[in-house]
Amino acid sequence: MPSEINTPNKLELKNIHKSFPTVVKGHAGRTQILAGVDLVVKANEFLTIIGPSGCGKTTLLRIIASLLPADSGEVLVDGKPVTEPSAERAMVFQSFGLFPWKTVLDNVRFPLGIRNVPPREATEIAMTYLRKVGLEKSASAHPHQLSGGMQQRVGLARALATEPEVLLMDEPFGAIDAQTRELMQEELMRLWQETRNTVIFVTHDLDEAVLLADRVVLMSPGPGHVRKLVSVDLPRPRWGYDVRAHEQFAPLRAELWQALRGDLLQGSAAG
Amino acid sequence: MTAVITTGATSVPTRSMRWKEPRRHLLFLAGVLVLWQLGNLALGQLVLPSVPSVFKALLEITLSGALIKAMGESILLLFLGLSAALAIGFFFGVLIGRSKLAQWTLSPYFSALFVTPTVALVPLVLVWFGFGLSGRVLVVILAAVVPIMLSVAGSLRDEPGELVEVARSFGVRGEIALLVHVRLRAALPVILSGFRLAVGRAVVGMAVAETYLRLGGIGALINSYGALFQTDYVFASILPLTFLGIGLTKLVSRVERHFQGWQS
Repeated sequence: MPSEINTPNKLELKNIHKSFPTVVKGHAGRTQILAGVDLVVKANEFLTIIGPSGCGKTTLLRIIASLLPADSGEVLVDGKPVTEPSAERAMVFQSFGLFPWKTVLDNVRFPLGIRNVPPREATEIAMTYLRKVGLEKSASAHPHQLSGGMQQRVGLARALATEPEVLLMDEPFGAIDAQTRELMQEELMRLWQETRNTVIFVTHDLDEAVLLADRVVLMSPGPGHVRKLVSVDLPRPRWGYDVRAHEQFAPLRAELWQALRGDLLQGSAAG
Repeated sequence: MTAVITTGATSVPTRSMRWKEPRRHLLFLAGVLVLWQLGNLALGQLVLPSVPSVFKALLEITLSGALIKAMGESILLLFLGLSAALAIGFFFGVLIGRSKLAQWTLSPYFSALFVTPTVALVPLVLVWFGFGLSGRVLVVILAAVVPIMLSVAGSLRDEPGELVEVARSFGVRGEIALLVHVRLRAALPVILSGFRLAVGRAVVGMAVAETYLRLGGIGALINSYGALFQTDYVFASILPLTFLGIGLTKLVSRVERHFQGWQS
């Protein structure tokens, strides 16, 4: 929580730079995606990252997961630099990323198997988390038999089953219909209240960013950098009352929208 | 015969769906046999032997043990050739699928092999390997290896969505582990349909090897009866070969369906 000053830093990003090779009209060049991103995430903090497309928010998340190397800069977890992907930084993917040939249970067991958890124990742990997301009855189903919302619950159970230090979520509800999305947001809040992982949640939905976050990071493109950090002190737990109707919600949203709007207008003028 | 067909046809809808298809096949087969028999009357016993004489020949070579012995030899050859083709096709498929360099250098030669009729290679194989078993196995390999290689290479070339990334994010490390956990498993349905194609070609390769390289197995039976103009015995020898091919292809199809269960 941002109000607790003595909470240790869970994750630190130090001066992250990233560029990708591009070919424009036959000329090979490099496009700068991230230029000097610094960020500190406290333990047990729920951080959301928002920004227009092209601001590098997903790239940043992949660098945090070590799925992509940064050109320069460091990612520190508990003060130690990390370079290899690990289930300690578990990822929830936008298009769910479930193995279609595995059952729901085997999908959740997968990361545990990689970590050499004995099969029986892995099944127990996996079932515990499937119960938490309300899918214990679908354990033997295959992903294609489930709705999008249910598939993402499996994705969430899989990520949580490894009891990650940091939970990375890449627009996890972006591919889910609006009504289900609201339910999923509430469910995520409930789960998080229980597990209290450090969460980094990338989204392009402003309401979602404010609704879930302890702090919202606004990123701007050209090249991507942190433009604004906004603390959200809406009372928790954030269910059982209409968060969007809370007196603090509208000013926060307006403040972020002002900044975001400028980037969006610039982006559409340039594009 | 016609009476049987009409009564059979009217009773079909009342039967369960499971039996509908086999019944259709059987009815059509009955029609084919009738036409065959008519053809026999028109063309004579030498060109198109009568249905009963073919079955009589089939019964005779089965009882004498000649068919069983020939089948044994053929199946052994097929088994050895297909196993080797699978191993070689798999190895080069992975190599060509995962390495741009291997793709540029090697794949044209496999494509060339694919369009070259296996029969055309027989004289070369004869010079290199003589009449031994290794030569015959090589012919089966040459016939079957390319579909396996192509299906493995082709399916490994495209990334299976973000699943490789998913596996990496949960700590799967190294190209081989990723191949086993994700790439090959995702590619399995395509690889199996390549293998089904290879089985068909291997049966052709087997017959070619047994006919042109050294007489043995089913190929030898067909060849020797052909030389004696005993066409009823020729048909009686071809039929088991056909059923062998169909049976093996069906077997692979079953395995294919099993692994495709997750595809809606």
